[in-house]
Amino acid sequence: MSKCKFEDLIDGYLLNKLSERDKEAFEEHYFNCSSCFEKLQERDVIIRTIKNNPALLEEKEETRSSVLAGLRREVASFLTVRQLAFAGVTALLVMIIVFAVLPRGQAPAPNFFLTDEETVRGSSITLISPVIDMNQIPSSFEWKKLGENIEYQISIFNGKVLWKATTRENRITLPDEVKAKMVPGEKYSWQVKAFGPDGTLIAVSSRVQFKISAK
Amino acid sequence: MRPRVDEDIQELMVRYRPIIAFRVRKALGAQNTDCEDLVSEILSQVLEKLQTGEFRGDSSLGTFVYTITSRRIVDYIREKTKVMKYAPEPAPFPDPQETLEVAEMSEKVKRALSRLKPKYREVLYLYYYQELSREEVARHLGVSTRKVSELVNYALKLIRKELKP
Repeated sequence: MSKCKFEDLIDGYLLNKLSERDKEAFEEHYFNCSSCFEKLQERDVIIRTIKNNPALLEEKEETRSSVLAGLRREVASFLTVRQLAFAGVTALLVMIIVFAVLPRGQAPAPNFFLTDEETVRGSSITLISPVIDMNQIPSSFEWKKLGENIEYQISIFNGKVLWKATTRENRITLPDEVKAKMVPGEKYSWQVKAFGPDGTLIAVSSRVQFKISAK
Repeated sequence: MRPRVDEDIQELMVRYRPIIAFRVRKALGAQNTDCEDLVSEILSQVLEKLQTGEFRGDSSLGTFVYTITSRRIVDYIREKTKVMKYAPEPAPFPDPQETLEVAEMSEKVKRALSRLKPKYREVLYLYYYQELSREEVARHLGVSTRKVSELVNYALKLIRKELKP
């Protein structure tokens, strides 16, 4: 049986990565194509099982870190101090470009799919810190202020929602009990949503991942 | 061209109920207790429209059902957002009140996952759990994007094998 061209959209659809247009096209398609719908259902169970049982896949963590350690050793053995410094400067430049210059470019306004036919266009929120890997558990989270009279909702995830809070400031201090739940070596992500005075969603940040490096 | 509705109603219900239910759960979050009601409502709307001859065969029946489903979901969310302070969170991966069949499937998937070789587990973890793109997974593992696709596809194939009765 030949493969249906829509099959490639299954993962994107289930992981909410499709554009609104592709999403709608794919939805209409699976109402018409029983083969794709069957595969979609099956993939949904597979992905949900993975999402709910990451431990089944994670236990090989040590292999991964030993591979990384090996790589680090290799890198160290063929780079001189000077080359290393040069690499550092280059990396810094790249980071400046990525974090400071590119966001100023014309990033398309994100669509919030409040409904499936109505997408609400809103602006995006720039997350300031943490956006890269951390040496220790971050004590506060900061993002760019959008304006006055805005309520921000921050969520921290470790696969599921670890903590959620609202504030009118553009930064928030992490309570100790949440810090206590965060573990070095683990990856977390966070996201901020902004709500106007009447409670409508006006902006959403992207979900940024950071890792707290193991000591 | 009018579909022969009467004889096909039963068949129609069997065919479209799971599809509508999937679409509704995806839009509202599986833990939303209104899902079941909404699905039944949509199905009866479909049947009613078919019986009154509103479906004239301009599009496929699937597209007709899809359109009714999407409209009803939009209306539902519109009603809800009026009273809710926050827009509903898209809840991608809740543990739904699973049917026995799904629960059984999930057990089989778990078994298959735990039997996979580490390289497959790792790629599934990065791609599906961490939701990295294929390119990001490729960079992370130091292989080509194509290789990542191959690994994911092969891992899925192994899991599917376990799901077959």
